[in-house]
Amino acid sequence: MRALVIDDSRAMRRIVSGILEGLGYETRQAGHGREGLDVLETGWVPDLACVDWNMPVMDGLQFVSAVRSNPALRSMTIMMVTSESEHTQIVRALAAGAHEYVIKPFTADAIRDKLALLGLLPQEAVL
Amino acid sequence: MKILIADDSRVMRQIVIRTLRQAGFDDHEIVEAEDGADALAKVGSEEPDLVLSDWNMPNMTGIECLQALRSSGSTVPFGFVTSEGSPEMRERAANAGALFLIAKPFNEDTFADALSGVIA
Amino acid sequence: MTTIDTGERRRGADTRPVITELIDEATVEAIAQEAWISLVGEDEVLVPLPGEPVADPLSSWVDVVGPWTGSVVLTTGRRTAEELTRALLREHSPEVLEDEDVADAFGEIANVVGGNVKAALPGSSGLSLPDVGDAPALRNPEDVCRVDLLWRGETVSISVQGALPPLPAH
Repeated sequence: MRALVIDDSRAMRRIVSGILEGLGYETRQAGHGREGLDVLETGWVPDLACVDWNMPVMDGLQFVSAVRSNPALRSMTIMMVTSESEHTQIVRALAAGAHEYVIKPFTADAIRDKLALLGLLPQEAVL
Repeated sequence: MKILIADDSRVMRQIVIRTLRQAGFDDHEIVEAEDGADALAKVGSEEPDLVLSDWNMPNMTGIECLQALRSSGSTVPFGFVTSEGSPEMRERAANAGALFLIAKPFNEDTFADALSGVIA
Repeated sequence: MTTIDTGERRRGADTRPVITELIDEATVEAIAQEAWISLVGEDEVLVPLPGEPVADPLSSWVDVVGPWTGSVVLTTGRRTAEELTRALLREHSPEVLEDEDVADAFGEIANVVGGNVKAALPGSSGLSLPDVGDAPALRNPEDVCRVDLLWRGETVSISVQGALPPLPAH
């Protein structure tokens, strides 16, 4: 399974990619929403996109809106990554088409549990 | 006594003023603020004797305003008037230095109870 | 990164509750009734009966983010929202009501109802600032608790609705 990790923080990208690779994902990274769209436009369509909320150039909400208007990307599950101070805005991203969210700081288990619920674990997970 | 009322809802500020009067606290000067940042500035410029603040406001929340006041050394009496009145919120309010938390919906009796120790 | 225990695992992260497991219509009605008595007037009554469908709907809502995530949405006719605004403003009610006044008052009612719904939910949640406009769409028909009420004969409905899409069947 494939995942696209979009975050303007390289450290956060590494952490999230690390967690997903540990679960069996093949990952790619992007520094903001526009770069994320560029990756998708190459034809590499992931099963999952983990998207930061606050990014320059194109933020998480704008990315979600752009993706949801593209029928070719409807099968991609979008999980927002939000900080405590932004978290009450998360419903806006969900309404725009995101499927799930996780609040920083999060554990690898929190991500795994949400992916298990969504049926997005590459192998049988023992919960 | 000068009371600063902070709430992003003008309607709610008027309801608070009205309820203060109904609770018998009608001889006080009222100053209004429309968010936490405005409240913080007005504590400095108006020097109120009491702040009654909503929790959730744009620009700066009530709890952020209280934290900023306390860390700058202000001891102004501060209480919340908020739609979120759970034990957890009350604890957070008390830990930040609030004297009381009045939950919405409120009436003049709940106001009187909360404020009787604080204002005449 | 140090792993910080957010308690999510202990909260039973292998299930995602729908609102009907957490709150019932009677509780939402009671919350609304208390809000009306305090904000609209001591003698105000909300009757739990469906009314006429709303012709010119206006909604106000707050979002709740926590172990359950969704919105508490109030919907009524625009004229009724204006009456509610005048009732809240009482003697300060202007001759002509601005949209801003209605958004303020109707939003504040959603804030009070939503804040109390949030307090009735397990765990710790965040509450957004209120918003006013067209009702947010229903994301998951299984994740809704809705009450239809009559205020002064006018329809007011309150929908506590989840923001997460239904889980895929697997």
